[in-house]
Amino acid sequence: MPHASLLVPKVSEMALLEVQGVTRRFGGLPAVDDLSFAVNEGEILGIIGPNGAGKTTLLNLISALLPVSAGTILFRGRPITGMPPHAIAEMGVARTFQIVKPLKGLTVRENVAVGAMFGQRNGGLPTRPALAKADEVLEFVALGARASAAVTSLTIADRKRLELARALAMEPALLLLDEVMAGLNAKEVEWAMGLIQQVNRRGVTILVIEHVMKAIMGISHRILVLHHGRRIALGTPPEVAADTTVVEAYLGRGYAERQRAGA
Amino acid sequence: MSRRSPFAVRGSPDGVRGAVGPPVLLAVIGVVVALLFPAVATGYWIRVVSNIFMYGAMAQSLNIMAGFTGYADFGNTVFFGLGAYGTALLTSKAGLPVVPAVVLGALVGVVLASLMGLPLLRLRGHYFAIATIGVLEAAREIIANVPFFGGGMGITLPISTGAPEAFYGFIYYVLFAVIMAYIGITWWLSRSKFGYALRAIKADEEAAAVMGIHTTRYKIRAWRLSAFCTGIVGGIYAYWLNFIEPPIVFDIMISIKVWLIMLLGGAGTILGPLFGAIILEMLQAVIWGQFLRGHMLILGAVIVLVVIFMPAGFMDLVRKRFSLRAVLADLRANKI
Amino acid sequence: MNLQSLINGLLLGGVYACVGIGFSLVWGVANVINLTHGALIMLGAYVTFWAFRLGGIDPFLAIPLAMASMAVIGYAIQRFLVNYVVKIGVFMTLILTFGLQLVLIDSALFAFTGDYRSVTPSYAGAGFDLGGAVIPYIRIGIFAVGLLLTWLLHLFMTYTKTGNAIRATALNKEAAQLVGVNIGHIYAVTFALGAALAGAAGAMLSTLYAVTPVMGNPMLGKAFVIACLGGLGNMWGSLVGGLVLGLAETAGAGLIGPSFQQAISFGLLVLILAIRPEGIVGKKFFAEVKT
Repeated sequence: MPHASLLVPKVSEMALLEVQGVTRRFGGLPAVDDLSFAVNEGEILGIIGPNGAGKTTLLNLISALLPVSAGTILFRGRPITGMPPHAIAEMGVARTFQIVKPLKGLTVRENVAVGAMFGQRNGGLPTRPALAKADEVLEFVALGARASAAVTSLTIADRKRLELARALAMEPALLLLDEVMAGLNAKEVEWAMGLIQQVNRRGVTILVIEHVMKAIMGISHRILVLHHGRRIALGTPPEVAADTTVVEAYLGRGYAERQRAGA
Repeated sequence: MSRRSPFAVRGSPDGVRGAVGPPVLLAVIGVVVALLFPAVATGYWIRVVSNIFMYGAMAQSLNIMAGFTGYADFGNTVFFGLGAYGTALLTSKAGLPVVPAVVLGALVGVVLASLMGLPLLRLRGHYFAIATIGVLEAAREIIANVPFFGGGMGITLPISTGAPEAFYGFIYYVLFAVIMAYIGITWWLSRSKFGYALRAIKADEEAAAVMGIHTTRYKIRAWRLSAFCTGIVGGIYAYWLNFIEPPIVFDIMISIKVWLIMLLGGAGTILGPLFGAIILEMLQAVIWGQFLRGHMLILGAVIVLVVIFMPAGFMDLVRKRFSLRAVLADLRANKI
Repeated sequence: MNLQSLINGLLLGGVYACVGIGFSLVWGVANVINLTHGALIMLGAYVTFWAFRLGGIDPFLAIPLAMASMAVIGYAIQRFLVNYVVKIGVFMTLILTFGLQLVLIDSALFAFTGDYRSVTPSYAGAGFDLGGAVIPYIRIGIFAVGLLLTWLLHLFMTYTKTGNAIRATALNKEAAQLVGVNIGHIYAVTFALGAALAGAAGAMLSTLYAVTPVMGNPMLGKAFVIACLGGLGNMWGSLVGGLVLGLAETAGAGLIGPSFQQAISFGLLVLILAIRPEGIVGKKFFAEVKT
């Protein structure tokens, strides 16, 4: 897989999303601790970190499913902290969930159509056009054959595709992906990587949380590394891979020292 | 065959062929029969079928909030009572003609739903159900104890002129029109954006929110619609009965019966509530006719059997083509 | 509010606590809203009545008998009926127990007729004086029994294997299953426990109110309020909830008039749900409020 920087030249210097000093505490414990970073328009920003690093909490804060304990989040320069989730969606932010949330009782097509009906920035489509749009998006994620199926009959991989399709139907400016590749086999991971890059080429800025290192290193322009809710590195994939603080966080201080000694 | 929630919507425009849309011919025949019925039936049976229409309409109204939006409004009867009282007061004390009185009476319920919406719609599941029961009971007690509403003495509505048969026939057709209209509303819900918003909310409120659905606004709107529809029925009932008092129209048993009908027919379906009303009313007519004592026991036994053997309702049973094996398989799947 | 009113309110609260605790337990643990609770109270009262009438057994001594008999019925109800419906949702259990309750009450009507019965031990109506207020023996006895039962329940839940299994199931059903808990059996035991507590409440209520097949219905309504006030599944919370309800009703009857008593209890219910659904004592994560 060619490196991302070779494929997509259009990353601007404009910050689409800015996270400024954001903290989220549960009881006394900070899940996200004074975190600051910016996402440039058009880029794919990967977010990695050991389990419990606060990655999903971060997405929940951005999409306003959780309120911040401190700090501000700006989207296109406007503060969105304190806005309700649906308003943020209407501004052009879509997300998937780590534990997928299909809408039971609706077909696959209807699931995606709901995204097109309510999540688009111009107020959304009426029913019929939304269903048609849903078919388009389902083709794009290779789920077209199952369009009329009930969501309960889908495999996990298909449910992840559905989750993604629903977010795409909203035609977002910013897409937040939470471990879309978990549970996929090697071939499916390759396919997902290609899909994400295709979406990015259409102009969508993407924030990807992932544990599959090969994938996230392969598609991200930059990578943000979180540990205990704090930012410990932010840079291009090669920079991050060489960063000893990152190595230490993942593999322990002993390994990092051996690496330093050996380098 | 997976365990099926009793609250799945059928008949959506996406053509999931789980829907049991009766062949159009049957529907037309049904309508024609219903229209001609009063000409050939006795007063008793006209009243039974009028009750079917009335309870069917109540169940359709409840369906909007419970079947589509997924909020268990057990105190739904409060809107029925407010509609009844609004109509009674406006006709007897303000001298309004019946039609505007019924509409205004229903609007009182809408106001209540709007006021209750913000605090109570934050609750989920059984908490919401309990809160609505509390509202119903509190409303009954308050109205019963405030003299302006007639207190425990009730309110008598101005009697309409004309022969009783003509009057009961008129009520029959009015209620028929109402349930047909409500079926139409439910059908519209199953294919409109508003309906999709409600169904998304019921399926997963968090997911619905991040997809851009203003959940609070849609929930309150659904409740207003449900309240209005229920209130209209209440107003008609008051006019029909001519005399109301708090225990009659703010009766939790009405809620229970309406819920039973909705579940019996299939919550979230389009025709379920009507079929549920037909089944239950016929059952009651038969049982009350045959047994002097023990109605409660039989009703209770019926409820137990229905809940255990057909939890997804009559429409689901039709979809399974009444297969005993499917029923038993579902039963085994449901067991803890 | 004078001393007598305060004492009346607290004693009434003691009665209510007995009524509410079994209901709250079953709801909090198994997520089953047991509408047969009122009927079980009624049947417990009848057991006590017949024990008193036929065997001369003092109602307080008949409590274990009422508890045991109701426990058996409760276990059967959960194991053979409710367990088939629990997975579908709490509303189905509601409807099911509603139907069952109709069957139980009508059967009682057939078996016992609607005649008013009463249990009047020799010390009924007598009491002692405390600072000018009268405290009837029966009511203070009920209060004491209520405290005792709550404490015994607490011991059971904390120190016995079954009790721990019940608590584990309430917190995380799947995890409990993984460590070998038989959920169906535990639910049935919980229901039996709730039924036993209902039986005890019935035994005590038989000394205060007339014993009829419909005596349980108003108690059911109060059980709802108490469970919500105290937080589902929270035993001490039920005690607090019962006391609050008893005091509120007594105070309200004094201030606004006795006919508003029902309105007060339901108004309280709506209020607590609107403001603090987890109850006065409950912990937030048991509540189902969306942020």
